Amino acid sequence: MMSDRENNMLRVLTHTTWRFYMWLGIFSAVALWGLYGYITQLRYGLIVTGMRDEISWGLYISNFVFFTGISYGGTLISAILRVTDADWRHPITRLSEAITVFALCVGGPMVIIDLGRPDRMLNLFIHGRIQSPILWDVIAVSTYLAGCALYLYLPMIPDLALLANREELAPWRRKLYRFLIFGWTGTPGEQHLLEKCISRMAVLMIILAVSVHTVVSWIFAMTLRPGWNSSIFGPYFVMAAVYSGTAAVVLSMYILLRVLHLEDYLKPAHFRNLGMLLLTFSLLYLYFTINEYLTSVYKVEGPERLLLHQLFFGDYAVLMWVTQAVFIAIPLVMIAVVLAVKRLQRFIPSVVALASVLIVLGAGAKRYLIVIPTLTAPYLPNPSTIIPNNPVLPFDWVHYRPTWVEWSITFGGTAAFLIMYMLFTKVFPMISIWETREDKVLVEPAVESTPRNVPQRLGSIPTMTILLIGCLLFGATIARADQKKNPGKTPEATTLSLEWKQVATPPPTDDGGAQAQPSEGESSGANKIYGQLFGWMPVESGDHAQLYPSMEVTATLLDSKGQPLAYQVAGLSLKTSFGKLDFGSRPTNGEGKAKFLIQDKRYGQYQVDSNYDGGDKFAAAHAQAMVDFGVRPAPSLPAQGVLITPYATAWIGIPFLMFFGLIWSVFLYIGIYLLFWRLPQLRKAHNSLSQ
Amino acid sequence: MSITRRGFLQGTGGALIASLAISEGTSAQGLHQNLPARSVAPTNQKWVMVIDLAKCDGCGDCTKACNSMHFVPPMQEWIRVYEVLDNPQAGPYYVARPCMHCDNPPCVRGCPVGATFKRTDGLVMMDQDRCIGCRNCIAQCPYGARAFNWGEPPHTPEELAHKYSMEEGWPHRKGVVEKCDFCPEMLRAGKLTACAEKCGMGAVYVGDEYEDAVTNSKGETIQLSKVTKQGAGYRLLEELGTEPRVYYLPPVNRKYAAPGDMKS
Repeated sequence: MMSDRENNMLRVLTHTTWRFYMWLGIFSAVALWGLYGYITQLRYGLIVTGMRDEISWGLYISNFVFFTGISYGGTLISAILRVTDADWRHPITRLSEAITVFALCVGGPMVIIDLGRPDRMLNLFIHGRIQSPILWDVIAVSTYLAGCALYLYLPMIPDLALLANREELAPWRRKLYRFLIFGWTGTPGEQHLLEKCISRMAVLMIILAVSVHTVVSWIFAMTLRPGWNSSIFGPYFVMAAVYSGTAAVVLSMYILLRVLHLEDYLKPAHFRNLGMLLLTFSLLYLYFTINEYLTSVYKVEGPERLLLHQLFFGDYAVLMWVTQAVFIAIPLVMIAVVLAVKRLQRFIPSVVALASVLIVLGAGAKRYLIVIPTLTAPYLPNPSTIIPNNPVLPFDWVHYRPTWVEWSITFGGTAAFLIMYMLFTKVFPMISIWETREDKVLVEPAVESTPRNVPQRLGSIPTMTILLIGCLLFGATIARADQKKNPGKTPEATTLSLEWKQVATPPPTDDGGAQAQPSEGESSGANKIYGQLFGWMPVESGDHAQLYPSMEVTATLLDSKGQPLAYQVAGLSLKTSFGKLDFGSRPTNGEGKAKFLIQDKRYGQYQVDSNYDGGDKFAAAHAQAMVDFGVRPAPSLPAQGVLITPYATAWIGIPFLMFFGLIWSVFLYIGIYLLFWRLPQLRKAHNSLSQ
Repeated sequence: MSITRRGFLQGTGGALIASLAISEGTSAQGLHQNLPARSVAPTNQKWVMVIDLAKCDGCGDCTKACNSMHFVPPMQEWIRVYEVLDNPQAGPYYVARPCMHCDNPPCVRGCPVGATFKRTDGLVMMDQDRCIGCRNCIAQCPYGARAFNWGEPPHTPEELAHKYSMEEGWPHRKGVVEKCDFCPEMLRAGKLTACAEKCGMGAVYVGDEYEDAVTNSKGETIQLSKVTKQGAGYRLLEELGTEPRVYYLPPVNRKYAAPGDMKS
């Protein structure tokens, strides 16, 4: 048996007004326009957007954050309030859970829309790297969506069972409902089991929602960018999500109240309670915002200066201050006043709803402010001066403004969300019938009120060159004149020979010598794990850590009779892949030897050349030898931890596998074991008992 | 057959642990023994670059040479010249910025599909066949060394005639990320990179870290460990821990007119 208010609520399933079709038409047109925008983008590429190399993420990413934020509403209202046993939640659980699911259905694809190559999307699964925050997002959002869908579905089973037997409903509906309930009959055993499923899911959803919004913030917080490189980002995003999500729930409540005339269910008390929550969240968000900005404003660290200037006084100042007002200040004052002043009590629903409109709009703008201004303030700012051959970036390459395509897709996505929501109201009951049936008296009796609708340069090079050439010419002439003085005397032939040997490396003189052993030996276990994980070990100077072999290369200079030549100058050079490395020259000693001690960070065999330039008495000589500096290290990747390795190790895999594996296990436990195995068993047992 | 709750939980728990064990086994093996083929460079060399800022006069010839050699799409520069002013009292100077080929590359950390990856010769490679265009690497790179093909890049017949390989990343494609590749095929042949070859001032040196020597376009070969130590070589944004493979020598005793002097 259905009560009057239930019949009134269910009227929406069977009665459709022209207004519904009108709005559906409008939203469909907008959604189709958005689709056209996306097709344009697919055809020409992301060039049709306002994004460029400087500002490479734009409205799409901010929409993604916005919609996943909105989706928090459902989890908060239904899960947190369920866990805390707040009974007034019953009539609003379903409408908020529906927001969660549909907001995720729009938010998730925003990331795909942002891809340059959506055709290669499957690479995320084929070549996925667990070290990347993007992949964390993919995993988290898909898990969240699956959980939300399950969580929307579970409490709907008893209602659908009720509706499946209603004769006045169209046959296709009853068929659908009957399919969805899997033979639910509503025995006490079944009800108990369902309650159990829902309460388990509620706890899980809270954990999952917090993790999802934190992971979304990590896309930004895991980068080396001033403004994003912030440890508060996780909780900041979660807080913003709760705040905007609750506002979305209020908004949806207000619209459903006006359109479907659900005054019997949605009482002013709901608006007052949610208003209270919004007030709390806005204060918390204000606190987070002050904390976030004050810590950087106080220090004005180098790279952050530009960003802060842009935000507070520069290009984004207007948007920034308007957003702070619309998102935090105005709603805060509005709700506080309407809740505090007794005389205004009857305006509570409309004022809270109006504040919610501001909060939802403000949330969108705030996400935009998180994503874009940071990208305009990189560590190496775009050069303002003209460098030859470097293109001068046009204004729109360094200043982001969304194009019509981005706006179309944004509005199209919003319209798609609204369409899904509207159609949902036509197929499923928006108020949980069985949960509201116990008729626990609401916290406060309804106030009979009719809320108002509130609705090249050369410099001196030539001169220098001339001078230089002049000098050379002068020198050459003098040298020539010199040579002419003693003609006919041929220099004596000399021989130069090279030998090399590895000598004992002298111990380093400084204190670093004490820890001269390579790091593996002395690093403690914990240090080693850190090093393996993230390459956290402090960088040691390679010279201290490792001793390179000392090579003594000796050049011996002999005259034609085999007598050593002393006090002559021999040079040494080493042939590399690209050129010759000169080691300078040394005088020969009494034995005609010039010694070069080479202790360099070098590996492999090298051709070493020694030259004796000769002079008036002795002819020039040349010698070469191959010197072996030891084997090159085996090819390897830098020891920087698991984050850059091509493979993920268990160290990074375990946390993800544990967390999401646990969550999926519970989904499976509830969705398959309890629903498909235990439930029919209970039913069978009940039936056999009653027979 | 009946499934109890305990049985179910034990089953899923067991499956979880089994998958853990398998992933641990395979990953440990992969990490320690065999790197994937594409992570191993053809030769055992470690490329490194030294840019002597005292010689860089900001002429932009490196950018020009790079652009024409790699057919770099317009509005991109794989090596970009910045005019840097550390503080108003210090004179401005030029910094040429190629890809740093960091040893702890944030782009590689953040890439969700391994389209950009570290190779044993020290290079950060870019696989245009795999890139999905999410641009997380652009967000990650603190040097702004990465660019994106927002639309279909204009092509020349010469460019299109070339066969794409990871080392020579053209013809260029739409919707993927581009960056300086350090011209590995030239380096292996013992030739300097395009930017080093065409630097009239000889400011750009390249070489093999294992040889401990770098060479510039004028054929001057200097010892890497010596110039970085005695020449007070530094790396850009060292404080970020990215461990770049490009070293800079400070712009002291400049051999050209400083940017500011030029203007006045």
